[in-house]
Amino acid sequence: MKFLLARQALILAALSLLPGVGQAIYFRDKISWRSPIPPSEMVSVDQARQWADSAIWIDARPDNEFAGDHVPGAISLNEDRWNELLPQFLAAWSPGKKVVVYCSAQSCDLAREVAERLRKEAQLPDVFVLEGGWEAWLKKNR
Amino acid sequence: MKTQILTVTLSFILCLTARAELKWEQTSVELHPARGDKQAIGHFKYQNVGKAPIHFKSVHASCGCTAAQSQKDQVAAGEKGEITATFNIGDRTGTQIKTVTVETDEAPNQKTVLTLRAIIPTELEISPTFVFWKQGDKPAPKTITVRAGKDFDVKHIKVTSSSPDFQTKVEETGQGQFKVDVQPNETGRPIASTLTIQSENSPKTFYATARITTAPTVPVAPGAPTIQKAPPAPAAPTAPARPSAPTSQTH
Repeated sequence: MKFLLARQALILAALSLLPGVGQAIYFRDKISWRSPIPPSEMVSVDQARQWADSAIWIDARPDNEFAGDHVPGAISLNEDRWNELLPQFLAAWSPGKKVVVYCSAQSCDLAREVAERLRKEAQLPDVFVLEGGWEAWLKKNR
Repeated sequence: MKTQILTVTLSFILCLTARAELKWEQTSVELHPARGDKQAIGHFKYQNVGKAPIHFKSVHASCGCTAAQSQKDQVAAGEKGEITATFNIGDRTGTQIKTVTVETDEAPNQKTVLTLRAIIPTELEISPTFVFWKQGDKPAPKTITVRAGKDFDVKHIKVTSSSPDFQTKVEETGQGQFKVDVQPNETGRPIASTLTIQSENSPKTFYATARITTAPTVPVAPGAPTIQKAPPAPAAPTAPARPSAPTSQTH
């Protein structure tokens, strides 16, 4: 009796694994997950505000959202017009300055992508993504 | 024994069939936009294989660069349709992964994530895209590496500086790779230049920036005033400057 139960349990376990294995094989190149941003590359609103003038704020949202409202003094830099906007940002940047990039929410990838390009392509140090994004800044400041 | 196995198998099959009524042809689309394309459009086809109509509660793209649209709000039993995701390429490069989250009234809190993966051809890889000297530094040359992207055959590139204060020198290092030496005439004053990089047989222009920066700012100690102040107004033009008296180097 025990043997039968164990065998049925094994069969059930094997059957339950089948869809997962099938999906993993079928979508092996198409899984769109991304690892979370390392904590060392994130900054909270409070910490970023403490940096005061030694930080440059980058708004990675699309132009219309930036035009609607943004962190005072923030510079618009999005990938829609990267080539056009990047020189404006680089003109404001100077060695020793920290860069705080935000977009509309933590789930939004825009800030992460802009931060990555600044680190990889422009090879800038001290580029951080704002925790909670624009909404977190609004919550703390309005 | 046979009855038990039959019961378990039937339960398993019933669970699978009752899982979802909206059947997606595919939930992941890979797009290969051509050079110069402004948009990449993904079509996610579905069919309501259940017996009751389904309502779309929300169709939400992961970023502002992607617009997702449903043909209809309600899908009758047996009806087919599609969600269209339009991704604006802009100045993006490389592999871009965007998602569209679809919520229906099939089951509470059940969401389907549609994935659009766009492989944007990269003609030239430029590293770094920014070189700078601190004011007063020795005006030694700095190197920018330009590499032809996969599937692109680049034999010559032309580099033009928007400012005569910077000199550029291009050297081919083989296998579609180039070394661009950038050197300021002097570093006594803050100046900037947009370097325009063009390859033969391509209308697309690439950019890099060279700049003499002012002296570094003094770091602010923790606990300093928390009022956010605006950074200095940008001094650069709003668009990559077209040189009036360019200095260029071709290889």
